[in-house]
Amino acid sequence: MHVLLIEDDIEAARFLIKGLCESGYTVDHAADGRAGLLRATEGQFDLIVTDRMLPQVDGLAIIEQLRGREIGTPVLVLSALGSVDDRIRGLKAGGDDYLTKPFAFAELLARIEALLRRPSAPHVTRLKVEDLEFDLLARRVTRAGRELELTARELKLLEFLMRRAGQVVTRTMLLEGVWDLHFDPQSNLIDVHISRLRQAIDRGSDHPLIHTVRGSGYVLRSDG
Amino acid sequence: MRLGLFNTTASRLSVGYTLLVTLAVGVTLGSAYLLTESLITDEVDLIIDSELASLEEKFARSGLAGVTDEINLRIDSWGRIGAVYMLADSSFERIAGNVTHWPFDGMPSEARPEFEIATIEPGRRAVHPVRAAVRTLPGGDLLLVGTDISQGRRFAAKFRVATLYGIGLSTLAAALAGFWFSYRLARRVEEVTRTCQRIMAGEWGRRLPLAGANDEFDALAASVNRVLDRLEEQAGTLRATFDSTAHDLRAPLHRLRTRLEALLWHSPPLEPAARESIESALREVDHLQRTLATLLQIALAESGAPLASPSAVDVGALAAELVELFEPVAGAQGVALDCRPESAAIVQGNRQLLAQLLTNLIENGLKYVPAGGRIEVAVRRLADSVRLTVSDNGPGIAAENRARAVQPFVRFGAGAKSEGSGLGLSLVAAIARLHRGRLELESNDPGLRVVVDLPA
Repeated sequence: MHVLLIEDDIEAARFLIKGLCESGYTVDHAADGRAGLLRATEGQFDLIVTDRMLPQVDGLAIIEQLRGREIGTPVLVLSALGSVDDRIRGLKAGGDDYLTKPFAFAELLARIEALLRRPSAPHVTRLKVEDLEFDLLARRVTRAGRELELTARELKLLEFLMRRAGQVVTRTMLLEGVWDLHFDPQSNLIDVHISRLRQAIDRGSDHPLIHTVRGSGYVLRSDG
Repeated sequence: MRLGLFNTTASRLSVGYTLLVTLAVGVTLGSAYLLTESLITDEVDLIIDSELASLEEKFARSGLAGVTDEINLRIDSWGRIGAVYMLADSSFERIAGNVTHWPFDGMPSEARPEFEIATIEPGRRAVHPVRAAVRTLPGGDLLLVGTDISQGRRFAAKFRVATLYGIGLSTLAAALAGFWFSYRLARRVEEVTRTCQRIMAGEWGRRLPLAGANDEFDALAASVNRVLDRLEEQAGTLRATFDSTAHDLRAPLHRLRTRLEALLWHSPPLEPAARESIESALREVDHLQRTLATLLQIALAESGAPLASPSAVDVGALAAELVELFEPVAGAQGVALDCRPESAAIVQGNRQLLAQLLTNLIENGLKYVPAGGRIEVAVRRLADSVRLTVSDNGPGIAAENRARAVQPFVRFGAGAKSEGSGLGLSLVAAIARLHRGRLELESNDPGLRVVVDLPA
């Protein structure tokens, strides 16, 4: 997977490049907006990670130019501007995700992964991971043929995880995706909700499906 | 607020204007009518007087026979043109003249009596009003001279009708002009009011329209627009200041976090103790960044900068969602968290900020309310606002401390755990203010009740 990183903060960039390379990505780096735009329009990338405030050409302007030239490469915006409106503006400009500095590298990695492996198509009506089945039309979930009683919110949470089966999903991604909240409450809300869901799904099973990834979040996958 | 057509200053003015026009036209035409009428009567009286004078003179010169001749002569020469003569004796018996019998019951009491006379005119019978005067001649005979006043009467009647039409039409014209004037005025004022409301609602780029008439309204609109330009410019400067402050503080924090995180990838792996302290330092950085974000948010709200891109938010539904989100955590603490939402409690606002407000209030409750306690979130629609109430039966805040509680970095009671930023209620107050709402801390007897009124 080929990632273009546009970041003028050299030290932060070096860290990101190192981390992404270790995670198996090929990374190109541009240190200012103009170089970044040039690289983005000429090269073939699977993903662009750009800082919001860049010398010469602003991050949002880069996205607008790319979208104007019908280049649909997913873009993740990194920003030191964290207010709600900045986020809205970033997404309106055509960004696919928005991450406020400072962030944990694991958060960035999970979001990159999510952007590269877009969730299964929306017209799918059944999701299946091992013996866990989710009938999206009837909103019915069975584990090994046995029907599970879940609340509407638990169903939404489970659908989010199953559509991204095998991917790490962070707490903030869950807050954004399931509850549409774009800020961090102080309490360990997500952990409590996941543990309830885990109780419902994995209790009495030899093969737990929901796993905690230390320092990152959660993943739903079939292997132990 | 929409202005009704009849409660504007302009329409009141135009009603007054119409009344004034009606009065002025009425007085003018009315006095012209009265003046004309008296002129006509005077003219008639003058003719009658001069006729009488000449007949009396004739009597003085030639006696009764002379007057009789003169009357007969005048009747012949004047024919039916309107002169009426009668000479009668003291018992009102006719001696001469063109009237068949004495028209009055004895001597008339008025100086200028009026009576009606019937004549046969070609093809029809007509009644003519006559104005007359009577003189007693030396010797006791009576001399009556009159004039047909039907023409004058007709003229007066026509004048009256014309006067009434004049008053009616000018009243109508004044009312129409007033209505049109006040309609135009009300429309322009309403346009200004509506634009101002939209600007207040967040369309900061909008300006008052200029009609191009170069009138006082355009001058007013231009002045208001200049004020708005200045405000927008200041908001922009403020925004840029906040942005650069945020950037200048977040960027080094990001580098700090990055360096710390890079240490964790060190190979060979660090000892567990070193790892532990790096992770603890990372948590501190995250806490610092959260406090910074909250402070910037508070400062931005307090600066009076407008709420960017507001949209319709159902506070009732939002409260229900957040209570559902927090319910497991509250349950784990042994605190009952209930919600009594009213549906379709819509306010114009920012969903994320309102969610943050609710989150802070619920988290605040969870921080202070002991196990076995209760937190209740209620949303109620009022006439023109939405009332959000978060009440608990925890220790509450003493009355004298309540005003201070919303100030930054103020914490109360032993229940306050140190990880709180002390900014929770300040941010709540700031978000409420940003939504032009009101925040009130009250006693819940026992406990704390936080009431937030948000204009709908």
